[in-house]
Amino acid sequence: MPRPATAVDVATGLPARAGVLAWLRERWEIVALAVLALAPLVVPALGGALGGQMTTLFIYCILALGLNVMVGYTGLVHLGIAAFFGIGAYLMAILTVPMYPFQIGWLAAAVVSVLLTAGIGLALGAPTLRLRGDYLAIVTLGFGEVVKVTLRNLEQITGGMKGLNPVPPPGAGVKVAGIDLGLAFAIDPRWFYYLSLLALAGVVVAMRRLEHSRLGRAWVAVREDELAASAMGISATRVKLSAFAMSSAVAGLAGCLYAGSLSTTADPNAYDFNRSIMVLCAVILGGLGSIPGTLLGVAILVGFDTVLAPWADSLIQQMNINPLGSSLLSFSGWRLAIFGLALVLVMRYRPEGLVPSRRLAAELREAHP
Amino acid sequence: MKPFRRNAGPPAGSSPPIGESPLLDVDRLTVRFGGLVAVSELDLDVPAGSIVSLIGPNGAGKTTAFNTISGIYSPTSGSVRFQGRRLEQSFTTGTFWSAMGVGLLTGLLFAAAAVDVDRLWLAVVKRGMITNEPFSLAGAASRLRGYFRAELAIDQMAGKWRVVSADGSDVLAIRRDLDEASALRNAFQAEVTARRAGPGTVPDTSDLADAVEPTSEAAALPRIREEVLDRLAAGKQRIRRRGWLGLFAGWVLGTAGTLAVWQRGRRSPHVVARAGISRTFQNIRLFSNMTVLENVLVGLDRTIPGGVTAMLFKTPANRRAEATARGRGLDALDFVGLAGSANRIAGQLPYGDQRRLEIARALATGATLILLDEPAAGMNPSETGELATLIERIRQRGVTVLLIEHHMSVVMRISDRVAVLDHGVKIAEGTPAEVKRDERVIEAYLGGES
Repeated sequence: MPRPATAVDVATGLPARAGVLAWLRERWEIVALAVLALAPLVVPALGGALGGQMTTLFIYCILALGLNVMVGYTGLVHLGIAAFFGIGAYLMAILTVPMYPFQIGWLAAAVVSVLLTAGIGLALGAPTLRLRGDYLAIVTLGFGEVVKVTLRNLEQITGGMKGLNPVPPPGAGVKVAGIDLGLAFAIDPRWFYYLSLLALAGVVVAMRRLEHSRLGRAWVAVREDELAASAMGISATRVKLSAFAMSSAVAGLAGCLYAGSLSTTADPNAYDFNRSIMVLCAVILGGLGSIPGTLLGVAILVGFDTVLAPWADSLIQQMNINPLGSSLLSFSGWRLAIFGLALVLVMRYRPEGLVPSRRLAAELREAHP
Repeated sequence: MKPFRRNAGPPAGSSPPIGESPLLDVDRLTVRFGGLVAVSELDLDVPAGSIVSLIGPNGAGKTTAFNTISGIYSPTSGSVRFQGRRLEQSFTTGTFWSAMGVGLLTGLLFAAAAVDVDRLWLAVVKRGMITNEPFSLAGAASRLRGYFRAELAIDQMAGKWRVVSADGSDVLAIRRDLDEASALRNAFQAEVTARRAGPGTVPDTSDLADAVEPTSEAAALPRIREEVLDRLAAGKQRIRRRGWLGLFAGWVLGTAGTLAVWQRGRRSPHVVARAGISRTFQNIRLFSNMTVLENVLVGLDRTIPGGVTAMLFKTPANRRAEATARGRGLDALDFVGLAGSANRIAGQLPYGDQRRLEIARALATGATLILLDEPAAGMNPSETGELATLIERIRQRGVTVLLIEHHMSVVMRISDRVAVLDHGVKIAEGTPAEVKRDERVIEAYLGGES
């Protein structure tokens, strides 16, 4: 695929562009944050079902950024991220639901469950990270299934297929300026919209900082050439373990928000292999190791699934062109076909992802001069 | 130019004395792959501050020797000592306690599975929530004790009180009234305890959580089948046996596993690198998608202080450390003449520059010995000359150099000593002039080619 030769900006490694586009590229996160923060004031639909859908989308963004640490930066295939998502959600629920004595408050519960999820990630990683490539992928896949079945079978602790509920909203019982925060969170989805947006912004900033720090460089170095990295005095095992812990912690945070926003952990099947693969696809589609790419990938894949498909279905129903309810005429009947086609096309024409990371982009430009 | 390394070597410029005790001491090193002997009984001393070259025809075992020194391969026999020490992670108290800690955690995990953590949770946490009293830690502790003594307990279901076994699997009686259920539970417990003590002995009630008064109600006990009573009586022993067995099995597995992993990773390359030996590779192994500066920063990794929280919150100390590292990285690049390409992608550099970047990265680790594996491979004569000068400048910084090279112009010009390998065996060693005259060397080189 020939491409026109462009001057390359050494600082970003991207083709240098003048004006608005370049500025957008540099400052995309501020623009996106401003648009999303102002949206609820302009779009009244965000106070309804759409608000909840957007919250879910933000939570998946956080989850995908967590997965990106392992798959994107460190190059370890992880097929069980949903397990850590579930562990975070269940820990959150155990620490806050009224049927258990802990009820330590939303924020404290979130902190504790994130730390515990990271610990569980370490405990899984320590014996398995010496495995390479496919073998590690199989271990993570197996771990994901084991966690799902364990959550289902520990009925006394996790409530089995019923899940744990109700997870109280954040700030339950706290009154600020005459508003009961818990009640506000429970009634208006915009509160959770802002909370998850804030968490997402925090995670993006954290990832951005890690990427340009000693740890981020060590992750990439281990991905690029493990032997060379360890000949430079970097302990590959420690670096991979830290990636595993960080990935689990961020996935745990996503799980906390998920349980909080749904006010239930849902049943263990919500944390199955499909979810892991969906998030992995989003990361690959957007661009491995790229923060904007990961966010775009989630926006497209999960947004398609949770926002666009229901909307298109209801539109078709309103237009009354499918009175017999044939699945061929409903949008969700074609959902997976469109999903698959999109993935195939992207992998054919843009294998580095939609917004590739600077480093991978350089590699692919080199491959197709 | 600022020095970019903390280095304990002799001051730059002065020609360091070739010491008596060598910096690197390779002693009767043998490396065997299956039936193939790659390196056989190699003796090599590298004095501090010298440039020693290892030459020989292709397949002589030079790179194998390098890989063994830098910890990629393990020697079949013989030893490598650096600054008088073997390059292995030593067994510290930290190793011991981490093995113990992992063992304890695994043990607890196994024990939790063996005593059925699900029912333990039911007994300790959930039963604390059925009465109106607030949940107390003391209550939880006493229920935990009760679980491991397999004592009968009171449970609630659908508004009725039930007398159940500790794990909730046996239901002995159901009553509407809590007091009545409690009295029944105490009476049953007395019977189970008596059975545990064996026939004919006075029941020992000291291990009961609640004091049991033998009352007349005992006479009015509903009859329970004998095998249920037997099972309940045996429960205490069973749960304890399982718990201890799980704890022990997990502890053995965890400790042994940690020690096994530690043993296998004792001589890994990063241990060798941290001791102060750094290297370049014959087939260039840069982090080719990172920038040139980032490559060097990976080499500087160990010198940058600060943990994950410092990175996440970008503390002033973290910013300073990063800035210092950048400065030192640029110095290292400047030293090899790549300062102008700091922000280029490493994989896009020309071949000769990639070789020099590898050297800069190796130097950045602060190594006192640097192993260069064919640094001049693929270079033209003028680049080769520059490289020889660079290696001499490296030595002037106090870094000792062990070199594999095929370009004899480089080897003969800069080496203090030259060792010649052929088929894994050292056939000659001496000054360049001595080696050049050696008959066996000439035979190995010319005889092989004719």
